[in-house]
Amino acid sequence: MNSNRFVPLAAFNFALIFAFAVSGRLAGQDNKTSYPSMAPLEQYLMQRDAEITLAQSAAPESISRDATVLVLGRHGYETAVEGKNGFVCAVERGWMSPADAPEFWNPKIRGPICFNPPAARSVLPVTYKRTEMALAGRTKAEITDGNKTAFERGELPALEPGAMSYMMSKEAYLTDDADHNLAHLMFYTPPLDGKVWGADLPKSPVMLIPQFKGAQPIDVFIVPVGRWSDGTPAPLM
Amino acid sequence: MMNGKKFGAIGFLIFALVFHIAALRLTHGQDTDHRDKPRAYPEMSPLDQYLMDRNGEIALARSAAPEALSRDATILVLGRHGYETAVAGKNGFVCLVDRSWMLPFDDSEFWNPSVRLPVCQNPPAARSHLPLTFKTTALALAGRSRKQMFDSIKTAFDQKELPLPEPGSMCYMMSKQQNFGPKFGNADPHLMFWFPQPDHMAWGADMPDSPVDVHQYSPQPITEFAISVAKWSDGTAAGANQRGGTQ
Repeated sequence: MNSNRFVPLAAFNFALIFAFAVSGRLAGQDNKTSYPSMAPLEQYLMQRDAEITLAQSAAPESISRDATVLVLGRHGYETAVEGKNGFVCAVERGWMSPADAPEFWNPKIRGPICFNPPAARSVLPVTYKRTEMALAGRTKAEITDGNKTAFERGELPALEPGAMSYMMSKEAYLTDDADHNLAHLMFYTPPLDGKVWGADLPKSPVMLIPQFKGAQPIDVFIVPVGRWSDGTPAPLM
Repeated sequence: MMNGKKFGAIGFLIFALVFHIAALRLTHGQDTDHRDKPRAYPEMSPLDQYLMDRNGEIALARSAAPEALSRDATILVLGRHGYETAVAGKNGFVCLVDRSWMLPFDDSEFWNPSVRLPVCQNPPAARSHLPLTFKTTALALAGRSRKQMFDSIKTAFDQKELPLPEPGSMCYMMSKQQNFGPKFGNADPHLMFWFPQPDHMAWGADMPDSPVDVHQYSPQPITEFAISVAKWSDGTAAGANQRGGTQ
């Protein structure tokens, strides 16, 4: 059956290598390119309309059409579309990875994401903060430390209950590995033992990823779903 | 997909009270071995019809989650006086087979004795949601009517005799053998997340193409989100006509 297509989640521990930490599910190709430092800014930027479209593709159109849409400018994210349903869609870049992710500075990374209202209020500010630091030329370590310090100083909000996001874009580029992509939802919780959700066990659809490791007390669980945001089937991992 | 969406919308509208298990807005065209012909169940059937062979029930309960999880879970089986521990676990999860009375109180399958809903509740849910299962089951086994059960559950929450969901409460319902009754058959594999109802938040649920359903309990002050996933607990793919499924 298809079960042999499941990558053992033990192998997923190498998710630390990956930007949005899903590459472990994307099969075992070695990274062939290293990204030791930030590339020229231009490589991270996109054409505005294309970025809007890509951001909106993170969630089903029924959700993203009424969402606020952000685009990355030279000085941070800017509001391109004012929404009305409380969701906020953006395209995250590699610096939203854990600091020890080798693709942290990969300029090809494009992570379309739609935050639900609690996440827009309590998780999206982390995206703003990290992006601000990246664009200011900070190192990976400085970004992680800056994130941590900002949280400890109360400059970042506490996580709200029910914070989650959609990452179901067929056009995402989450890693250089394999198919580059995985249709999934993300759930943000206070620190939990991953075992509490049965995460990372063989055949479990739940994965605990270290996105905010060392920076902020937020656990991120992801649940792959079988479809892209346009309703077409997504590959099974 | 269309059937799934239709179900989600219709289910939500029709069952304003909606409860967790029924509203999986799944296709009604799938063929399963679990479908029985539509019929009315105005009252509880003889108790024996709800009971199972003990070993069969243990295996069914475990099938709710991947074996790596359920093999170390506590397993409950339904006896004549309520759920009993058949296997003592060690990972904090509790697996059991819900019966029809865990459906919404206005569900036409509420007393359908063929309904079998294997579920593995995680530790926070085992502490905060399982008591609801025990209470509801006790009322059913005591011969209470739906109305009496509804009132008792409402009172129990009002008087804080039943807890609200703890943070992180969730469960697995990924058994290929689950049976929701004639309308939805074995539905699809899914996870469910429980929150206190005042925390009801927007998850983009019940929107076209969304993999998320929301169910509002009544009288339970609980909001439930169900996330369809692509595989059954044994790792096999869910059907292409199921929301979480792929090719």
